[in-house]
Amino acid sequence: MEEPVVTTLGSWEADDVTVAQVEAALSDLRHHEQRAAVRTSVLTLVAVVKTDAEADAARAIIDELGGRHPSRALVIVAVDDEPDAPNGTDAAVWVRAIEREGRAVCFEQLLLRVRGKARHHLDSIVEPFALPDVPMVVWLPAGLPSPGDPLMQAANRVVVDSRAVAEAGGDVLTRSLSLARRLPVADLSWMRLEQWRSMLAGLFEGALNRPFLQAVDRVEVCGNHGPRYLLGGWLLRRLELPASRVELRPAEHVSVDVHAVSGGRRGRFRVARDGAEREIRSCVDIEGGPQLEQTVRMRQQWPSLALASALTRVGHDEIYEEALAGARELRQAEGGR
Amino acid sequence: MENPLAEATVERVAPPAVLVVFGASGDLTSRKLMPAVENLALRRLLPPGFSVVGVARTDFDDEQFFESMRQAVEKAGGGGEEARHVWESFAQGGFRYVAGDYGDPETFKRLKDVLDEIDATRGTAQNRLIYLATPPSTFPTVIQGLAQCGLNRPANDNAFVRIVIEKPYGRDTRSAEKLDAVVHEVFEEPQVYRIDHYLGKETVQNVLALRFANAIFEPIWNRRYVNHVQITVAEQLGVGHRGGFYESAGALRDIVQNHVLQVLALTLMEPPSTFDPNGIRDEKVKALRAVDILSPEEVAQNVVRAQYRAGWVQGTEVHSYRDEEGVDPHSQTETYVAMRLKVDNWRWAGVPFYVRTGKYLPKRVTEVAMEFNRVPHLPFAMSQAEGLDPDALVLRIQPDEGITLRFGAKVPGQAFRVRSVSMDFFYGAAFLEETPEAYERLLLDALLGDPTLFIRADEVAQAWRIVQPVLDGFEEGDLPLARYEAGTWGPPEADHLLDRDGRRWRKP
Repeated sequence: MEEPVVTTLGSWEADDVTVAQVEAALSDLRHHEQRAAVRTSVLTLVAVVKTDAEADAARAIIDELGGRHPSRALVIVAVDDEPDAPNGTDAAVWVRAIEREGRAVCFEQLLLRVRGKARHHLDSIVEPFALPDVPMVVWLPAGLPSPGDPLMQAANRVVVDSRAVAEAGGDVLTRSLSLARRLPVADLSWMRLEQWRSMLAGLFEGALNRPFLQAVDRVEVCGNHGPRYLLGGWLLRRLELPASRVELRPAEHVSVDVHAVSGGRRGRFRVARDGAEREIRSCVDIEGGPQLEQTVRMRQQWPSLALASALTRVGHDEIYEEALAGARELRQAEGGR
Repeated sequence: MENPLAEATVERVAPPAVLVVFGASGDLTSRKLMPAVENLALRRLLPPGFSVVGVARTDFDDEQFFESMRQAVEKAGGGGEEARHVWESFAQGGFRYVAGDYGDPETFKRLKDVLDEIDATRGTAQNRLIYLATPPSTFPTVIQGLAQCGLNRPANDNAFVRIVIEKPYGRDTRSAEKLDAVVHEVFEEPQVYRIDHYLGKETVQNVLALRFANAIFEPIWNRRYVNHVQITVAEQLGVGHRGGFYESAGALRDIVQNHVLQVLALTLMEPPSTFDPNGIRDEKVKALRAVDILSPEEVAQNVVRAQYRAGWVQGTEVHSYRDEEGVDPHSQTETYVAMRLKVDNWRWAGVPFYVRTGKYLPKRVTEVAMEFNRVPHLPFAMSQAEGLDPDALVLRIQPDEGITLRFGAKVPGQAFRVRSVSMDFFYGAAFLEETPEAYERLLLDALLGDPTLFIRADEVAQAWRIVQPVLDGFEEGDLPLARYEAGTWGPPEADHLLDRDGRRWRKP
């Protein structure tokens, strides 16, 4: 398939503007460009960041995303360094077209720098730009929303990255759980773990290996804080294990080992990234049976791909919420030991 | 027992199994099946130990077979650094080869030994997916050979043996019934996966989503609103190097009996109550059963067959069919068929279905176009609505997958003039996912034991029931063979078929 070509059809920017002025500029750009008449948007994407550098990074990801997933994208910089600044918004607007195989689809990108108290009322800024009848997804690349954030009332779904937040400290998983109970959440960290979950699940396909899932002795999960708790919580809940049978250990790379006994035979099922190579090795070792191994390349993980994957889903991810609840149970059990 | 870890994972990994390919040195294996295996492995959907055993007459050993498959996949656009692990992993005994004649029982004994060895060393648990990628004439021989060695039945309650059978499934009603008898003597129907790769196309499945997930289309999907339906499966290519095969098939057997009738069935069918394999297939069979059988006289009036002459296709001069390699210079084989079909049921009575397929048409396109009745009264002067065609809904299956809705709109200005406009939706513009190739999807479904997108015996029988009178008409010489210039939309006779009804073919 041809690589899409993204061209800018028109742009506009101004400081200290009203929402109405930005809307008018956007409408003007679209009406003066015939190609902009064709639009197949599936959502309004709102990225909220705190600095210009974060905004640039978010816009780069959205550009990559736009090539495959047209949406109206708003990047909002809620400028934090001048809390007492008067209310004000600077805006830049781009109307772009993606051309692939002779077809062009238009999408829009808005960058809004919001100062003053308006930072706490982003919903009032976002709503006028929301496309009708399509979901609004709020993406927080480096944070979790504070309780009562009115923007969350306007959102149909929120995309977070618990790993990015975890790096900043705090009990992220508990906060994520509380958020997920209020609103459908897509956690990019959880999405990155999907290949691990799918490969581990795959080791138990087939009538020979499946019974081992009913007799799990012990599970060991290694990895960074977020991934190991999420995977541990997932296994705890899916396999209905007591917390004492799930061992978590810090490590640079993820590995999961499931030890089980079925029909009097011991079995070890392992998926692991062993080193710097972007490879996952899976291994089945059943007593008296052949030892099987498979090495696969890890899925490409660039941020736009995880985000794009998050945007294709709707509704609550119950398995994720279950994994979060399991992760909390593991934390509590650790505290009690 | 379910796999609690597999729940809510987006894609399900196949169980440990051996894929046994008969016709392993053939074109289908190297162009379609092996690239599909590589892609499934790249998507991490094959388990450790998954193995391929090729069976064919060509004198390969395991290593030569492995190497030839690796190179074939590379030639088909796969391989490379990204797939290095996949092939390294397969190199550890994952590709085996049995050379032999399909008529020789020794071939199957050797196959059985190899399969037993793989089960012991690679944990494939006696699960087998047998794929017949051989010429149809060999199907009975291979099937009987499998049975003689007990390779047709699972070794225990936990294991599976499934057989995938490529089209064409028979040459006519009688031969299809005969083949079915051979198959059913050896395999139970739930073990049989008759493949029509068209059903593996994401956009063919999208016809089901469009019809049964939307409340706005279904109420108008009937005789009350639909004036007629046109189904086009146009190919831009000629017969190429398949002339020899094509001489004994023709467009009716090669495309109409399977692809066209499958698309027709999805268009005609009633909403299934469940989306399980039999829910959908039961409705497809009911739909095909409602298609009226043409009498010999009706065949003469409602079917056009034609063959391409030399012409120009996309700026390239091409030969006449009769000058193609492997084709009889006086060949009477059709490369184009157009038909007018009637459907006798409550929903479609009186609505004609025009179907057409051909080689060397101006472009590759598959679509279902539904033209609606005009409004009962037009409150404008005729001159005001000169540019107004009937409303139409077009489901484009390939290549620009999507939907077009044609309707009337006012031309801006002081005068009140109405003309038709088209609103296009492109499937690829709204969805991120890269769609898996049809063979990839269907191979995985067969490994997972999901027959929804495979064709059941009664569906095949219904399809032949519709096609048989037309074949008889061809063979008895009742229907003259028209000629069309390559690169055009078919012969004038096909236009007359619609002219008579006051209609014309769409230009897709």
